Amino acid sequence: MVKVNKKGKKGEFKETTPLDVVYFILPFISLGLVVFLWYSVSTNKPDMFPSMTATWARLVKLFKQPIMRVPYYGHILASLKRVVMALAAAIVIGVPFGTMLGWNRKLDCFFGSIFNIIRPIPPLAWIPLIIIAFGIGEFPKVLIVFIGAVMPIVINTRAGLRSVDQLYLDVGTLFDANRRQILMEVAIPSAMPAIIAGIKTATSTGWMVVLAAEMLSAKSGVGFLVTRGMDANDMPLVLVAMITIGIVGALLGVLTSLIERLLCPWLQIK
Amino acid sequence: MSEEVNAAAARDERPVKVEVRHLTKYFDTLHVLDDVSFDIKKGEFVCVVGPTGCGKTTFLNLLTKIYEPSEGTLKIDGELADPKKHNLAFVFQEPSSFPWLTVEENLKFGLKVKKLPADVIEQRVERIIKLLGLEEFRNVYPASLSTSTEQRVIIGRAFAMEPDLLLMDEPYGQMDIKMRFYLEDEVLRLWREIGTTVVFITHNVEEAVYLSEKILILTNKPAKIKEELVNTLPYPRNIASKDFIDLRRHVTEQIKWW
Amino acid sequence: MAANKVILQIRNLKKSFSGKNGEVLAVNDVSFDVYDNEFLVLLGPGQCGKTVMLNMIAGLIEPDEGEIILNGKPVRGHDPKIGMVLQRTALMPWKTVMSNVEIGPKWRGVGKAERQAYCQKFIDLVGLTGFEKSFPAQLSGGMKQRVGIARAYANDPEILIMDEPFGALDAQTRYAMEEEVARIWDQQKRTVIFVTNNIEEACFLGDRIILFSNRPATIKEIYPNEMARPRDMISEEFMKLRTSISDNTDLAIDTL
Repeated sequence: MVKVNKKGKKGEFKETTPLDVVYFILPFISLGLVVFLWYSVSTNKPDMFPSMTATWARLVKLFKQPIMRVPYYGHILASLKRVVMALAAAIVIGVPFGTMLGWNRKLDCFFGSIFNIIRPIPPLAWIPLIIIAFGIGEFPKVLIVFIGAVMPIVINTRAGLRSVDQLYLDVGTLFDANRRQILMEVAIPSAMPAIIAGIKTATSTGWMVVLAAEMLSAKSGVGFLVTRGMDANDMPLVLVAMITIGIVGALLGVLTSLIERLLCPWLQIK
Repeated sequence: MSEEVNAAAARDERPVKVEVRHLTKYFDTLHVLDDVSFDIKKGEFVCVVGPTGCGKTTFLNLLTKIYEPSEGTLKIDGELADPKKHNLAFVFQEPSSFPWLTVEENLKFGLKVKKLPADVIEQRVERIIKLLGLEEFRNVYPASLSTSTEQRVIIGRAFAMEPDLLLMDEPYGQMDIKMRFYLEDEVLRLWREIGTTVVFITHNVEEAVYLSEKILILTNKPAKIKEELVNTLPYPRNIASKDFIDLRRHVTEQIKWW
Repeated sequence: MAANKVILQIRNLKKSFSGKNGEVLAVNDVSFDVYDNEFLVLLGPGQCGKTVMLNMIAGLIEPDEGEIILNGKPVRGHDPKIGMVLQRTALMPWKTVMSNVEIGPKWRGVGKAERQAYCQKFIDLVGLTGFEKSFPAQLSGGMKQRVGIARAYANDPEILIMDEPFGALDAQTRYAMEEEVARIWDQQKRTVIFVTNNIEEACFLGDRIILFSNRPATIKEIYPNEMARPRDMISEEFMKLRTSISDNTDLAIDTL
């Protein structure tokens, strides 16, 4: 009785065109160009820019010889730990708060203006106040990251709940859902893609903020490695730290996409 | 009936415009189109009908050269079809006008891209506007038109190109009967005035019988031509006449798609 | 029509909206009766205000004037005895077919095993057995609308409103779905109020067809349709009804 669209299920039949090969090769070419650029700059101005071999050697040394008694991976973990803690707090506080603002007009009016003023203040601008209040321990760093991460989560959650299609709310009415059911089973799932987009932005913001926070005052973390390299005029260390930041940041992006896949299976179809 | 019809086809002395031979298409192992051959005469109005998913879209994409056929050839005026050389125009089910251009500018768009002289553009666009009765909408943006009027503009735009071949893919798919009848008469008027060669794909048998000089009935996948039917009913056609209903029933039987 | 018992009375419904150019009257003084277990078609051109009328009957919006009387009692807001199949299917993309179909009983607090067994009947009825765990995005347009129909039936309404359910489907799927709806209606007798702008569809499905004018919607004519089912769209009888309705409708062509 029902005809199943086989085409959609098994995936489109796509031929590999010469263009596909080009698309595959292009990223390697760009990477190659960067390496070449690095090579030529470091050969011409060796005192300004460390060579690849020097950077590699610094990385190997870093594995053998911890800085501040923390090994290389320990610095990465230290930064990650701060981000994860801050992110968890930002989700636990930001999602319900954003939901409240998006769902309840009165609360939105009450908090909205304060939130709109606080929002543009960069997390790093909070540092002096936070240091006065909480010193330079672990908590203030996490707090700074939290400030950076919670903003996109609240903003996206609020927008997601604001833009729930009236159609779905009508379905709620038609099937006699109560207000709590409409919120939990209609509005929040419908806003989920927006919420997750917020968490993604929060993750990348958090990763950037933690490094900046560590550059100011820390004894561990990848941001600390950058400062340490600068203070000791150890440019290869700075480069090792920078590349680490880039790679870990990219991996975090992949990780959040995987989490999205897990939480919103319906978005993965097609 | 078919002998009589073939005799009528033989009397049709227009030159062949489009020549399709052994057109076959595979996607990987999926056989979509199987050895399709037919001719379209210059200025002929051909309707293509067939069950859903029978490969009509693939068929169209082969005609427009979006896909390359696995086997077979498609010739226009005796030369292998080439979108760079031949002038092909399309109308799809969803109207696709440019929202930032007025009706008149939309009609002119394709002609300007073709770099036709200004007076030719002027003359063709005026003719289309007149044929469609769109004078009062000339300076209006598509956003303030209904879907049906927007589709009329798109169809006018396609005819204004005076293409070698005009391909229409269910342009009236979502219109109600009254509107469809009106638009069908309109497209016949354009076709007769401008003399364009038209391939019109539709699900609607009544529409195919009403419009066409020839109907290609496709089979289920892999699509072959089940019947090539010359439609000699005199224009304007009466949808309630016995001949019309007989033909409609015959085509419907041939498709049996639901 | 069997017993001719009136189940729903629409009395002097009126609704206007404030638009850019002042008040726009969408529905003007519409009254009609709906009989028990009949298949009633409301037919009208594109934007004639049919949807506004339906939304009032379903309790999604409130009328400015007039009354909706169900089984002799006036209806306020949404009445659970009135179900609806929406044009844009409105399936929740984050729910599977089964989770979509079961929302009615679930939100009423029916236990999981009981409601899923009950809903399975309707999934089977619309021919979607085996697709319970699929997400809407994995289904074709016709199948999505089948889920919408199953969902509405599973909530067990007395009156089922269908708002141009096949408006977005291609022609062939549309024909197939029209036959499906006629079959389902035959097997699960309910009162159906079916809205369409397609004359052919109206003639194919309706026991009665109420033809509406262009906006504001007012009743133009009521056509009884006692053709035997299943109906043949090419028969003389069918074409005659189709032509007489078509002659009586307004061509919805743009004017400035």
